[in-house]
Amino acid sequence: MIREHGYSHWNGQFIERRLPWWPITRLNLKLAFRKKHFRPVYALSFLPAFFFIVAIYISERIEDFQFMMRGGRAILFEINPNFFKNYLASDFLLFMLILIMVFAAAGLMADDFRFNALILYFSRPLRKRDYLFGKAAVIAFFVLTLTAFPAILFIFIKLLFAGNFSLLKNYPWLPLSIIGYSLFLTIFYCLYALFLSCLSRNSRYVSVMIFAVYVFSDFLYAFFYNWFRQPFLLLLSFKHNLQQVAAFAFGVKPAQPVPWFWSFLVLGLFCLLAGYFILSKIRAVEVIR
Amino acid sequence: MKVEVSHLHFSYGSIKALDDVSLSLEGGATGLLGPNGAGKTTLIKILLGFLRPERGEGRVLGYDILHEPRKIRQLVGYMPEDDCFLPGMDAVTFTAFFGELAGMPRQEAMKRAHEVLFYVGLGEARYRLLETYSAGMRQRLKLAQALVHDPKLLFLDEPTSNLDPQGRMEILELIKDLANGKDIQILLSSHILSDIEMVCKHVIILNRGKVVAQGKIKDLKAMNFRLYELKIKGEREKWLAELAARGCQFEVTEDGLIRLYLPAEINPKEIFIAAFKAGVQIRHFKPSESTLEDFFARAVGVD
Amino acid sequence: MKPRIVAEHLSRWYGNVLGLSDVNLEIGPGITGLLGPNGAGKSTLLKLITGQIRPSLGRVTIDGQPVRGRAELFSRLGYCPEQDAFFDGFTGWQFLYWLLRLHHFTEKKAAERTEEMLRLVELEADAHRPIRSYSRGMRQRLKLAQALAHEPEILILDEPLNGLDPLGKRKMIRLIRDFGQEGRLVLVSSHILPEIEALTRQIILIHQGKVFAQGDIHEIRDLIERHPHVVSVRTRDSRRLAAWLIQQPYVVKAYFGENDDNLFVETRDRDKFFHFLLELVAEGRIEIEEITSPDDNLQAVFDYLIGKP
Repeated sequence: MIREHGYSHWNGQFIERRLPWWPITRLNLKLAFRKKHFRPVYALSFLPAFFFIVAIYISERIEDFQFMMRGGRAILFEINPNFFKNYLASDFLLFMLILIMVFAAAGLMADDFRFNALILYFSRPLRKRDYLFGKAAVIAFFVLTLTAFPAILFIFIKLLFAGNFSLLKNYPWLPLSIIGYSLFLTIFYCLYALFLSCLSRNSRYVSVMIFAVYVFSDFLYAFFYNWFRQPFLLLLSFKHNLQQVAAFAFGVKPAQPVPWFWSFLVLGLFCLLAGYFILSKIRAVEVIR
Repeated sequence: MKVEVSHLHFSYGSIKALDDVSLSLEGGATGLLGPNGAGKTTLIKILLGFLRPERGEGRVLGYDILHEPRKIRQLVGYMPEDDCFLPGMDAVTFTAFFGELAGMPRQEAMKRAHEVLFYVGLGEARYRLLETYSAGMRQRLKLAQALVHDPKLLFLDEPTSNLDPQGRMEILELIKDLANGKDIQILLSSHILSDIEMVCKHVIILNRGKVVAQGKIKDLKAMNFRLYELKIKGEREKWLAELAARGCQFEVTEDGLIRLYLPAEINPKEIFIAAFKAGVQIRHFKPSESTLEDFFARAVGVD
Repeated sequence: MKPRIVAEHLSRWYGNVLGLSDVNLEIGPGITGLLGPNGAGKSTLLKLITGQIRPSLGRVTIDGQPVRGRAELFSRLGYCPEQDAFFDGFTGWQFLYWLLRLHHFTEKKAAERTEEMLRLVELEADAHRPIRSYSRGMRQRLKLAQALAHEPEILILDEPLNGLDPLGKRKMIRLIRDFGQEGRLVLVSSHILPEIEALTRQIILIHQGKVFAQGDIHEIRDLIERHPHVVSVRTRDSRRLAAWLIQQPYVVKAYFGENDDNLFVETRDRDKFFHFLLELVAEGRIEIEEITSPDDNLQAVFDYLIGKP
């Protein structure tokens, strides 16, 4: 038997994947983790989770930690929905997610446009929705591992340390809030990052935009608030909008006297527009020149 | 028939890109020719299911182009004209990735990626980052990703664009090898007629959305059995004078090529005899045939 | 005056990277093809000739004058670059017109000439649309128009047939050939050898920064003695012919093509070979359908010189 030089055929079978978009997600996750500066940023984002777990522990053994309590400090160690809201909508976490987007998501669409890869994708039996979902799943991975996953873990740890189900008995809707809000964050970050990634062919510009738009929106709010002192100006800031919605999700009084629903609408509108733009960008390119 | 379309119509707004196009591809390699805007790219897009024709239908590899485009894409390999790749990875990852997206299991895609990369000549370079690849290597990479899922049909769009003479020859050799393999049918869309002549047995010519000619290249290049082209070494006056005296007509081009028309009663052997007597060496002797380019020009209806 | 480009000991490097090394060239009127693999130094040579960069050593002159810093020389030089270099927002008409004005053409002359050039390259219908709406072929034609517009004596074309369909190529080839008459100098750089062959027989071959060959393709082929010439003979009696030929000492190799009636012969002495063959035919011992020299083309010459195994 001799192996002939030259082209040989493949005698395998095609498979029907349950998740046709999975190779895309897997590849982009690998690429993200290969980036040198990404790994420490991702690791750093787990720091608050770590501290919150410690806080849960402390809250159970409050007597042992009398020395830590100074009046209002006690509130921090009370494990209630506010605790979860503080974790999921903390300035730090929201910001770190933006940084993660900068490293892991900037090139998701931009590189495909720049290097003309879309035609390669779509000459496969791949639906548009699979392509987009595969890209979004990369972002969803990072958001969920930093939001829903730790938060649910907190519940387990609390139940473990408390030795009873009082947390769930008091707030039975808590897991739902966590998952709901995490999904909301996921959808927002996916659309935010993919939208900005569609705007330019240069992933560096997109990185800058991801960072700058978020920070600038907050700056705008602070700037105008300084002049006009009107609370509704918070609608300018992505961060504050996200936090307002979080407040509603966890049944907590929002930080500003602005109805959470407006924040939800603003963000919803943004997401719709972003989604529409992304779809039209894909459509324009899918039909090759 | 691996590809059959009938009565395809497609318009971009008011511009009719395809006007009642019907064709079927024979086996082997077929060239797709046409002036810019003739509808070549539109035709390929429709075959791949990127565009829906207004009217008409077609089947590629037995699947309906209107209703089963994704099945078609699984069985077709497409090598686009423009540069396309993904940064940050090596050729194996790249090729295997697209194999997976075509529906291959992960391990199979990996194995096959290595094989295909060796076949196209990128074996040594397959672990290098794609950003470091030269233009010729990128073309081969495009061919590799088109072949990884072992397609039955290959669409090649300007496969030799931007390549230097060596690169061109190498890609053409690869395509010829594939075409000779008999199991893969190739549709080659190109502006370079000599490429098509080298690789393809059949050709389809489109102009303004219509098929103006199709057939075997050999048949389309008309043979004119009484007309010969010759190149010689030596003094040609006496020899040509003698032939003229026997009723031949000739013209000499600026390159020194002699076009000789032989009347019916004279045997071509006489040309050689006369040359031998006159001390003229015939170094090139060919029954004249029109070039594919001439045929193309005529088919498209220009001067 | 007949234009002449002369390069003397022309060298150019970029840091460590060699662009051109000790190139000595003389290019006269008519069409000359410039070829070479990627990275061989073709664009470096063209940039040096058009004065875009300065030589590291040696010099390049046009009609005896060095190129750099001589603005008046540019009015005699037309350059058609490989990449697109347009002001996308202009219309084709405006583009040509203003370039002509920059060449000191009067308003009237510039307008006339613009119309003429647009007619020549068949862009009149689209002349008043913005360049960004032009197709590849149209841009290519506009680039050529821009190179010819100011009536230069010297035309430097880098891949002029790129992106044109076969008809467009034919027209462009005709245009270039017409231009090459009347004593003008045309230097065409291209990768697609059959297209250069259609334009000219004079070539310059550059490889690894040096000139590997300059002259007529066929003469160059004759000079490559190390490689025996390949002759293809088609005859029904191919095997009998092969038997005769193998006995001749100047026949190095004989082999059959895909069809049995196609015989390929390699010989070091074409004179003797053809004489022998002709004799056979004249004496009626064999009938020949076709004789060609498959390696007497530019691609073969190129491959030999570049050292392809």
